[in-house]
Amino acid sequence: MTPDACSLADLELRTAARIVKVCASGAMRVQLLEMGFVRGTRVEVLKRAPLGDPLELRVRGYHVCLRAEDAAAVRVERCQ
Amino acid sequence: MSRPLRVALAGNPNVGKTSLFNELTGAAEAVGNLAGVTVDVSVGRVAARHGAARPIEVVDLPGIYSLNASSEDGVLAYEVLCGRGSVVPDVIVLVLDATNLARNLYLALQVRELGCRCVVALNMMDAARDSGIDVDVDALAKALGVPVVETVARSGDGIDALLTTVARGGPVAAAQFVDVEEPTVRAYEARYGRAAGRWHCIEAHGQAPDPDTGRAVEALVEARYAAVDQMLERVVRPIRPPKPTRSRSEQIDRILTHRIGGPLVFVVVMALVFQAMFAGAEPFMKSIEATVGWLQAWISNTFGDHLWVDLINDGVLAGVGNVVVFVPQVALLFAFIGLLEDSGYMARAAFIIDRIMMKAGLSGSSFVPLLSGYACAIPAILGTRTIRSRRARIATMLMVPFASCSARLPIYALLIGAFFEADTIVWGPFSIGGLLLLAMYTLSTVSALAMGFVYSRTILRGPRLPLFIELPPYRLPRLRHTLSKVWERVRGFLRDAGTTILAATVVLWAVLTFPQPPPDVGVEAEVTPIEHSLGGRVGKAIEPALQPMGQDWRVGIGILGSFAAREVFISTLGLVFGIENADEDDAPLRERLRTARDPKTGRKLYTPLSATALMVFFVYAAQCMSTLAVVRRETKTWRWPAFMFLSMTLIAYVAAVLVYQVGTWLGWGTDVSMFV
Repeated sequence: MTPDACSLADLELRTAARIVKVCASGAMRVQLLEMGFVRGTRVEVLKRAPLGDPLELRVRGYHVCLRAEDAAAVRVERCQ
Repeated sequence: MSRPLRVALAGNPNVGKTSLFNELTGAAEAVGNLAGVTVDVSVGRVAARHGAARPIEVVDLPGIYSLNASSEDGVLAYEVLCGRGSVVPDVIVLVLDATNLARNLYLALQVRELGCRCVVALNMMDAARDSGIDVDVDALAKALGVPVVETVARSGDGIDALLTTVARGGPVAAAQFVDVEEPTVRAYEARYGRAAGRWHCIEAHGQAPDPDTGRAVEALVEARYAAVDQMLERVVRPIRPPKPTRSRSEQIDRILTHRIGGPLVFVVVMALVFQAMFAGAEPFMKSIEATVGWLQAWISNTFGDHLWVDLINDGVLAGVGNVVVFVPQVALLFAFIGLLEDSGYMARAAFIIDRIMMKAGLSGSSFVPLLSGYACAIPAILGTRTIRSRRARIATMLMVPFASCSARLPIYALLIGAFFEADTIVWGPFSIGGLLLLAMYTLSTVSALAMGFVYSRTILRGPRLPLFIELPPYRLPRLRHTLSKVWERVRGFLRDAGTTILAATVVLWAVLTFPQPPPDVGVEAEVTPIEHSLGGRVGKAIEPALQPMGQDWRVGIGILGSFAAREVFISTLGLVFGIENADEDDAPLRERLRTARDPKTGRKLYTPLSATALMVFFVYAAQCMSTLAVVRRETKTWRWPAFMFLSMTLIAYVAAVLVYQVGTWLGWGTDVSMFV
């Protein structure tokens, strides 16, 4: 595994990354993919909610919040 | 006369679809609901002022991010768009957000695969230009193969052009597909046809995931998004060096979702909503009650003492009052929900509170309905419409009645006032009365959250879905839009739940009136008319069941009467003791309750312990037919209200029996209480 790969839940705030793969299966996989979390897409964690969860993300130009447990299923790689 | 042209509006959430619907139909036009589906779908007629060549009917489909089977909304939209739904549209208007085509075009590609007569309304073009991008409308029309019309739904710009294009009709666009060579996708396409095959492939993976369909889904979605990206290159171009998009929203969020500022603002906003519902609606409710009371007095003064006067007064008018009295709270809650949603704050509120709601198996969007439940369950249950997942929505509906609504307060006040030294200070600012009240509210809150936890893991368990809450840019909320939404909700409530509540009030009146005692049984027999009625007999019949919770048949009749609305318990119990208008001044009733003794044994009928058991009963019991009527209206089935009534009554009974029996065992059930 490359050193700059991690799960979306572990990505530092305001660090640009690219999606490598969605590790979930079933309805969870379908929804993550269809919301735009597909391979090669740029994603950024903008903020954590005041209680630490969920995360505010920017993907495909829109802002969405996703729980850390769901974001953990998305593998990303930091952009150089 | 030609049949109206039927148009279905489809699109992502937050793209201005409902604004467009309101703009098209106008607040004054009839808005109905699509029959036979559990999802609420508005249907309206295009307003005459748009001057369309022929009558046009518009169906506002629920906002969806994609056509998939993971939500009821998605299935409904898919069926309608395929022409297999309960309404078959002639034209589909697909609303796209010009500021966010990168995500919106995914749905556009799915719709294009279906091959239907479609017109794209490219909405929010003004906002797109403000943020420094331009969309080449002709290029987009060419890429999608359907006409594209620029609109600004908020101001009404482009609506007439859209209608002209829609009315022109044009040919059905040929289905166009993004090529996917993946073998599993191919296999599904061969089996079901191309469009349906892709749908079934994704559905199959959602239902029973396996690696083959897993790869297929990924290939399919990736191919569509790749096509979206190609399309974006051709149609979207910067008109000037792009401003950092959404900079204003991000600045607002620096405060509103700040680590400390965020929760503070959240608490203030929620306190405001609650205060408005709890206290702000009060004068309106009081004046509605006063008007009904004045009418009742006028009727009985004018027409004298007749049975039919009683029917009009205590059945019909009381029933109408029971319905209308909810309108102020329903309207206020929906005004707040409308403003909060329209401004974009609602999503932030869900973002902030989600962590806590997650523990009860819910999401942040359940918070506002649950909070409203402490004022009244009726608006709260109507307010669950903001919850996207049906499972979470039903779980929230089932939790709401556990929240101690304001109708329980008079009952707590009566019982605490009658059996406890309410003003005795226990410690610091805390009096016995205050602590008991606090205990009831704590019990109700803990129970609501615990039931949510249980329901979301048992009867409402479903496949784990990621929680997506889109955080749209902040916008200035529109008053007119909000008010028309409020009116639509209030009208829906009056029409659908109102009739049920009215009918139930009349039936309940009859049960507590007939049969009437013969005229010669009077004061000397000490039988009140209500005791002689069917309801009175039922109360007596269930006495053996009430004894374990320390109650007698008199309370049984009161519980029966409180089904009309919890606070009616007081006036009904008053009638059992021969006291009129106990709801206006409960002092005489308190006195009677305190001193009432069993005529045979001479023992006190009620004790502080039995009063506590009764309060606990009212914390849990679903003693409110209006709540059940609204749940029926919202779920479109009697199954959930029946479940709610039976489960809550059972919990109430068991809890009250536990309190009384354990209390008695501990020696707290004696006549002479330590509190009085």
